[in-house]
Amino acid sequence: MPIPATRRVTLAAACAGVLLAAACGTGGGATSGKSGGLTVWFPGNSAPEIDLVTKTLVPEFEKANNVKVEITYVDWGQISPKLNAALAAGTAPDLFGHGPAAAAGFVRTGRIAKLDDRVAKLPAADREDLAAYLEGGKVGGGQYMIPLSGQGTLIAYRKDLLTAAGLDPAAPPKTWAEAYEAARKLTVKEGGAVSRAGLLLQSAKTQRVQTFLTLLASEGGSLLTAGGDKPAWNSPEGARALEYFTRLYQGEGAVANQLGADFANQPAAQNPLATGKAAMVMATSGQVIQIAKARPELADRLGVLPPLATATAKTFGGAGPGLFLNADSKNQELAWKFIEFMLSKQVSERYARAAGALPVRASAASGAYAAEQPLLKPFIEAAPAYVASPNVPAWVQVRDVLDKHIEQALAGKAPAAQALAAAAAEATPLLAGK
Amino acid sequence: MSVITLARPAAARVGPRRPGPSGPSRRRRLVGLAFAAPAIVYLAVFQLFPVLYGLYLSLTGYSPLDRGAPRFVGLDNYLALADSAAFLQSLKVTAQFVAEVLPFAVGIALGLALLANRKVRGIGLWRAGLFLPRIVPLTAVSLIWLWLYSPDGWFNSLLAGVGLQPHDWLLDEDTALHAVAVMRVWKALGGNMVLFLAGLQAIPKTLYEAAALDGAGAWARFRHVTLPGLRPVMVYVITVNIVYLAQSFAEIFILTGGGPLGSTTTTNFLIYQEAFQNNQFGSASAMAFVLFALIFAFSYASMRGIGRRS
Amino acid sequence: MKRAGMKRPGMKRAGMEQAGMKQPGTRKPGTLIALGIATILVLMPFWWMASMAFKPEAEVFTQEPRLLPAQPTLGNFAVALDDGNLGRAMLNSTVVALVVVVANCVFALLAGYAFAKLPFRGSGLIFMAIVSTTMVPVAVTLIPLFLITKGIPLAGGNDLFGQGGAGLIDTLAGLTLPHLIGPLNVFLARQFFLGLADELGEAGRVDGASELTVFWRIYLPLAKPLVATVAVFAFTAVWDDFLWPLVVTSSAETQTVQLALSRFLTGGNVAYGPAMAGSVLVILPILAVFLFNQRSFIAGLSEGGVKG
Repeated sequence: MPIPATRRVTLAAACAGVLLAAACGTGGGATSGKSGGLTVWFPGNSAPEIDLVTKTLVPEFEKANNVKVEITYVDWGQISPKLNAALAAGTAPDLFGHGPAAAAGFVRTGRIAKLDDRVAKLPAADREDLAAYLEGGKVGGGQYMIPLSGQGTLIAYRKDLLTAAGLDPAAPPKTWAEAYEAARKLTVKEGGAVSRAGLLLQSAKTQRVQTFLTLLASEGGSLLTAGGDKPAWNSPEGARALEYFTRLYQGEGAVANQLGADFANQPAAQNPLATGKAAMVMATSGQVIQIAKARPELADRLGVLPPLATATAKTFGGAGPGLFLNADSKNQELAWKFIEFMLSKQVSERYARAAGALPVRASAASGAYAAEQPLLKPFIEAAPAYVASPNVPAWVQVRDVLDKHIEQALAGKAPAAQALAAAAAEATPLLAGK
Repeated sequence: MSVITLARPAAARVGPRRPGPSGPSRRRRLVGLAFAAPAIVYLAVFQLFPVLYGLYLSLTGYSPLDRGAPRFVGLDNYLALADSAAFLQSLKVTAQFVAEVLPFAVGIALGLALLANRKVRGIGLWRAGLFLPRIVPLTAVSLIWLWLYSPDGWFNSLLAGVGLQPHDWLLDEDTALHAVAVMRVWKALGGNMVLFLAGLQAIPKTLYEAAALDGAGAWARFRHVTLPGLRPVMVYVITVNIVYLAQSFAEIFILTGGGPLGSTTTTNFLIYQEAFQNNQFGSASAMAFVLFALIFAFSYASMRGIGRRS
Repeated sequence: MKRAGMKRPGMKRAGMEQAGMKQPGTRKPGTLIALGIATILVLMPFWWMASMAFKPEAEVFTQEPRLLPAQPTLGNFAVALDDGNLGRAMLNSTVVALVVVVANCVFALLAGYAFAKLPFRGSGLIFMAIVSTTMVPVAVTLIPLFLITKGIPLAGGNDLFGQGGAGLIDTLAGLTLPHLIGPLNVFLARQFFLGLADELGEAGRVDGASELTVFWRIYLPLAKPLVATVAVFAFTAVWDDFLWPLVVTSSAETQTVQLALSRFLTGGNVAYGPAMAGSVLVILPILAVFLFNQRSFIAGLSEGGVKG
């Protein structure tokens, strides 16, 4: 039975394909960013930030230093597993971005380089200008992370919706209790369900821990004991904070909906504040500014509340995501150069502007970006009220434990005090370093 | 797993020749070994060895981030799993998911196969259309369904059309897993249908003719000819579906991320988190072996249960 | 679930009628209507996907989703290819899939043929072992395969003992590793060749043909449906794979289509326009593979069972 000519051709083509593909396969491996260039992973998905970094800043840096830099943006939800896999495999980038809360864990496993000596070589004026946020990148007194920006969360609101509900947008709520009362007036219900939320706090995975921290700190409580080795959230302050949080969703007095939905990573035009599905929404400066950009007609209808108080006025914030230097990097000098570049006066302000974030340099608070962006002002002024996640090695696991139990409470599955006690029991051995 | 053999009556008759001692067949055996060698070596290195390696890892504490080597801990990981609420819940979620998807994915697919087995004009096109979800990647499919379930998506617009409140399908603990299950049924139909089609066409037409001569009605023919004739394929379809469904990951990753309240955290999803979020390769491996044992037990039971009845 | 309930009575009737009394080519309105409804329901999500791929962002989130875009745009495709890095991802997936398809078509077929027609000592046992590996969940081998891939000797900076470097992690070659020879494909090949008569080979051997010639010239040309089936299985195994690329790749250069698609998703939110455009682009090649092979694929699985 002779083989038809076409079949023979097909087979030959297939064989050629294999050889070619095999060649490509190994080639792809050898050149994937390990050829002397610098590899950097940034977390997040902010389109303006990605545009600025990949299309403007990096080409500038490449040209100035005659090197190749490969930038990869990784979604926040994926950055930890991706980094863990890459660190385990030895393919981790020279520099990677992450939140300050991850620093202590990387220090414990010896994965990131200590940067004190390099920071010490910065000009004194720069060090002073950066001092406030650099503090957020320290673990046990050592500098391990360089924040690229600051971040804070405040309650943004729609002035037009406040007016429509008979509230005075010029005299907005000052305390959490007042915010709840206003929210009740702003909430619209249809068939028993909230169709327009009066007050939306972040309730998605991990974000709800940040919201809880905000409420807890406002009550005068704190997450961990002063030594950082025991949970302290299991307190009357904690219970009141979580009860407040839960009351927003549960029962007759509910003023929020979409429990568990992630508004923070939503395209700005879809944010409930932009669509009018919520009147007051917890947001970062970046989100508020992006909403104003995506819906210009809303720009002058948006307002931002100063930090709300219960016992005191506190809110989640501080050093934003920053860069870590991989301890195994063979490009440490170049990597530090890139950090210096990102910190430089000019670049850091452009970066903050694109991300809508707080500039990392104190001097920039009086700069052009702050002046032209009225929505940024309340976030800069709120800086003294910012409280950050604890910087302890087990924080990421502890946070996940707390997150799970807060979710239980928010869903009405467990009373606040009981959920916090259960979280404390589960987290205690983790914090003790077991 | 030898069900396809059973679906091919012709194949069963032509068994392999018994190897003999004579010259030409000795050479033939060597050639056979040579032909099979690449596959045998590959599968030994990349399928069998990883299982043994994984078994070893499951007896160790191993966090690759710490730069240390695996530390032998005996059965500690397995003992810890017995107390782990998260793990037990994930098994429950996985079992519930399989139990929800399986009857529909098999029953509806059988119906579609009966329908698509009929000789109507353009049947090839219908079959292709019904088969389509099978070949579309789960990630793409999940993104579409994410929208269908979204607050402004198709399902909610249907609800609004009949005057009902919109529902957060994927954010509600009571509906999230069902929502994922519905998608998975839809995804599984085409593949199962094609297998049933194969089974239907393997049933000798003479059996139907004999039954008709005996005066059997349509239902009797379905009950006594079609169903028994499909048994081998049925075993195969159910087994394969259990094996696949019990390993759900991509759709969970995209649609719910395991939430809300862990109500969609399947064991496979938990294993990924344990391994790459918590860096516990040892305990993640132990979870995987428990899952393996359960999948094996259930698919074995389904093979014995359905395969033996006659 | 509701839809399922609706379809069932129709199906049963179809099942009952199917016995024996087929009249090829005649119209059967009941069957056609049932088929039509089932197909429309099954294809509905694809309609939404295609429609949204062409919708500008403002149209994606409206109270009443419209079946057709009011102002169709190609912008989403540009975004998907540019920001989504989808072009590179599709190239990567294609290369990996081609390697895997060819490897399967060569080695799985050869092995299946040997198990069916050239049995050797222990071949039955080995075949059973191979088949039983299809039962092993991916989760069991995921971590070991990850460590093995890292430890491939002399690759990615590794020494002869697989130490010191990253092996084939984050390479296209590493992506192919778990798929090169599918045990299921070996199984299918054996079953297929078992169904072909031994006499065909004997005739060739009498004419003095070597074993390779017997396989190549006599049996392989008859195995076209098998090749199509194995090719489609191998292709979809790679194209659909999500967990392995998620774990084994890290850089944008090695991203596969599934990873590129998943990047449109952040924390449960999706830029639906580009995501759907990306999905369309990702589905098109597999649709082409399927449509080209449709007859031999479905026939290979179904009719092959009868003739085999």
